[in-house]
Amino acid sequence: MMGRPTGTGALGRRALLKSSTAALALAALFGRPTRAAGTPWADRPATRVDRLNFVVWTYGDIYTKISKKFDDDWGVPLDATISSFNDHPTKLMTMYAGGETIDVSESSPFSFPNFITQGLVEPLDGLPGSDEYQKNFTESAKQVAVVDGKLMGLPYFSTVWVWNYYTDLMEKARFEPFKTYDELLEQCRKAKKDGICDYSIQWVAGVGLEQLPGTWYQLTWNRGGVFFDKAGNHQLGPGSIARETLKWWIPTFTEQLADPESLKVQFTTSAKAFCAGKNIYRGPNHHYGLNIINDPTQSPIAGKVKVMGSPGDGKTIGDTHVYFLCSANRDKEWAWKLLQYLGGRTKDGAYTQANNLARDAMLGSGYASVMKSAAITEGWKPWGDPEKILEIWDKAIYVGEMCNSIYKPWHFPWTDRVNIEVQKALTGQITADRCCDTLIAAIKEVQKS
Amino acid sequence: MLRHIDRGDQGSAEKLSALEADHDSGGALPAAPKRRGSAELSAGKLGVVMNLPTLATLALVLAYPIGYAAYLSFHKVTPAQLRRGVFPSVGLGNYQRILSDPLFLLALKNTLVFTAVTVVAELALAIAIALLIGQRQVWTSRVTRFLILLPYAVPPIANGLIWSFMYNFDFGFLNRLLFSAGLISKPVNWIGDPNTALFALTVPYIWRTLPFAVLLVHAALQGINPELFEAASVDGAGPFTRFRHITLPLLVPILVVLLVLRTSFAFVVFEEVLAITQGGPGDATWVAVWYSYKRSFAPPFDIGIGAASAYVLALIIGALALAYVTMIYRRIE
Repeated sequence: MMGRPTGTGALGRRALLKSSTAALALAALFGRPTRAAGTPWADRPATRVDRLNFVVWTYGDIYTKISKKFDDDWGVPLDATISSFNDHPTKLMTMYAGGETIDVSESSPFSFPNFITQGLVEPLDGLPGSDEYQKNFTESAKQVAVVDGKLMGLPYFSTVWVWNYYTDLMEKARFEPFKTYDELLEQCRKAKKDGICDYSIQWVAGVGLEQLPGTWYQLTWNRGGVFFDKAGNHQLGPGSIARETLKWWIPTFTEQLADPESLKVQFTTSAKAFCAGKNIYRGPNHHYGLNIINDPTQSPIAGKVKVMGSPGDGKTIGDTHVYFLCSANRDKEWAWKLLQYLGGRTKDGAYTQANNLARDAMLGSGYASVMKSAAITEGWKPWGDPEKILEIWDKAIYVGEMCNSIYKPWHFPWTDRVNIEVQKALTGQITADRCCDTLIAAIKEVQKS
Repeated sequence: MLRHIDRGDQGSAEKLSALEADHDSGGALPAAPKRRGSAELSAGKLGVVMNLPTLATLALVLAYPIGYAAYLSFHKVTPAQLRRGVFPSVGLGNYQRILSDPLFLLALKNTLVFTAVTVVAELALAIAIALLIGQRQVWTSRVTRFLILLPYAVPPIANGLIWSFMYNFDFGFLNRLLFSAGLISKPVNWIGDPNTALFALTVPYIWRTLPFAVLLVHAALQGINPELFEAASVDGAGPFTRFRHITLPLLVPILVVLLVLRTSFAFVVFEEVLAITQGGPGDATWVAVWYSYKRSFAPPFDIGIGAASAYVLALIIGALALAYVTMIYRRIE
């Protein structure tokens, strides 16, 4: 944390007078108070606002403390509009279309290009302290927050896709965590045959941006494939790894090895369903589901679920969600101040919200310094093994590297088709080949529209 | 002041005339300025004047949004453009796009199936339940009359959530009930199976909206003269004959109303889809309004397309309502 310089003892009287006069002249010229170098987060904006607002999706109770802190520090109350994750783009865009004021909002990496295209996101370049934030970004945060060379947001949280397993059922079945996908299928068949459990795997395959598509992305990447190459060409054709992965995935449903509820669950609901202790494996999906599964107040199997990496070389995917300054803000300087409280530093220079998110909700950070801090290495301990998760973290790439359509506005409508067609394939209505062929055709359709 | 009082209340009219005479002759009443123009409004004009506030309100809250949506359906509209208020015209482009979109056609087909199932089931159940709760000699019918209204008080989204718990594959009450009754040996994936998902959606919808239909039919039944049934009984008509030749024909007007209303409402089903299936699995439960919603309010937020699809739906509903009314009343005549 950087301290704020206050002393003037090293300066001579003449020099002090000169610099004070110059500072006053500059302040008068630009109508704003002088800033102490390197601590822009601690300075009060020159303008006045009665209140500020932010529009976000819900995740536990992560906004109460930071809102109070902002009010205490600056005397400006905050209004929060909080909806569910899936409803957030709708809520935000209807508010925007309706001409409402929105100071700060947030986005998943999947919606972000659309928000930018719609003119909802204000670039942050040139705002006091923005360069310093960028220097501290993780690679994942950079890939989401920096668009066409412009800084468009500050990181909300980062995550990686991991597997979970329930130790009681593993011991009962005398299994070791699987090392290949064939071994996974063998274990599932054996567990079913031996009556250990009916459905060994719970996939996160509900309709969504990261749920069903994310699971397919992760499995494909771990098996050595990508969805789109760097030039933007799809890699879903015959013989592609993505297509072969889908062919492998389908029998987990048709052979009734996967929990049928998998097709409905999102991240949180899948974690809650896994708490029933009826499945051996859950994944691959966000690492922080453990903060539900291993929480004794929420889960009857708390403490009995462990994290594991993916087969082979263990490579996986991750992503970062961002807060951004909305172009519909009431006052840019104050909105920037609020944005920093949510996605950067508070008045004391600490990454307060990122630290709170790590300690209270097991979320990772888009800031390298936070990822190395005790907020992560100690803060995650109540729910999982931070060392193991960070080991997996090191093998993760940002999901956009293997599916670069994420950077395009058409990715979102294309994901709608992915959800539909892959669910049809997983429920045996169409083959993997037909699914992929339809998705290839859909790329042109959504690009055109 | 009214000049023509078209009421049976002659006493009041006389009092009014007396007051007018008193006033004209400079009686004790306080003098009021004479406003000849307004005093001479005819009944027809007065009716128009009295209706103006209602017409203005309806124009504001109904006609304007409907007209504006029609305008949007011929334009390329995104939230940013909506905020600026400037939209490029695309002519019939939006309509061409949706009518060539297989997903929209599938959503229409699903909507038709959903509507057919729910409307037929609701009408049949409404008549049956209304007949049952109309039995005065059965004391429990009074309790049933009250209980039957309960689902109507449940908010649609809450109803959807309740049923999604009921349908849960692993822990759902429905599977447990059927399993305990020996009707199934393995749990059924009601809303996860594309073959059952759409039909599974009809049940919560019927459960929620049936009380309205029951109420209307029940009220209509109360209006039938009991002497008709007594006379038919004397002539040897049994319960079924009485129902077929007396009850059903006399219920036709209310059934037409119900048919139109229930069809219109079933066509715009949304809440249950949102709360239970979100259109899945795959596209098995994509219905027309879900299509409009997704096109308008999910990226890339193509509100013009959403408006166009809503208009196609409105046209279909209007045509169906017209067909119902024409067909059924022609048969009655």
